[in-house]
Amino acid sequence: MKQSSSSLPAAEGRGSISAAPIDLAALVAAAHHPGAGAVVLFSGEVRDSNHGKPVAFLEYEAHAELAEKMIGEIMAEAKLRWGLSVVLAQHRVGRVAVGETAVVVITSAAHRGEAYAANRHIIDRIKHEAPIWKCEYFADGTREWGNNCNCQAVTGDVSKHIYDSDS
Amino acid sequence: MRIHVYAGLKEYFLPEFDLAEEVGNVDQLKACLLAINAGAAKLLAACRFAVEEGFIDNSYQFKAHETVIVVPPSSGG
Repeated sequence: MKQSSSSLPAAEGRGSISAAPIDLAALVAAAHHPGAGAVVLFSGEVRDSNHGKPVAFLEYEAHAELAEKMIGEIMAEAKLRWGLSVVLAQHRVGRVAVGETAVVVITSAAHRGEAYAANRHIIDRIKHEAPIWKCEYFADGTREWGNNCNCQAVTGDVSKHIYDSDS
Repeated sequence: MRIHVYAGLKEYFLPEFDLAEEVGNVDQLKACLLAINAGAAKLLAACRFAVEEGFIDNSYQFKAHETVIVVPPSSGG
């Protein structure tokens, strides 16, 4: 139940946690819709350095069941709020190499404004709220569970977050 | 009560373990976990807690033999 090794493609409207590489082209192909004049894709990818330290790779861990449920709820809320035609999201677990996609969010809407806004909102909430964690493995052999959400230090509540898209 | 911890919490606790003490709510569980390893205090203060039905707060009363998930701050993406 903890970690999924599923390689199933992301179903529309449902978050997907997968150990398999993310097929961006296949996901974009699934995001076309006759009512959508805009398709926005966000791909979160592994950088080769963080705070000046060379990164070898990242290892993602998730509580897959909870994460998929939460991402599904986030997408459903965004679909209603922005009137999206299609919404897809998929997140990797396990080892992700530099340059690979760790997370993807695709939003299709009648116009680009809604598609961009919804996409930004969804990725912000996934990063802050979904039970997914990354451990950075550096080229010097050290590792660190990193870049955690620290909104609680400001909001005083572990369940209240400050999103970049709200600023 | 079965406890599951993730990510950085595994530096302080086993990934899964049983808690022998009867624990009523989240605050009592935090106290038990701190008694096992006080070094986790800062991280535990930032954690959320969940059971099978989803995330819970301190008003939730744990059931007997419940499985509790201790959720550190997310760092997805």
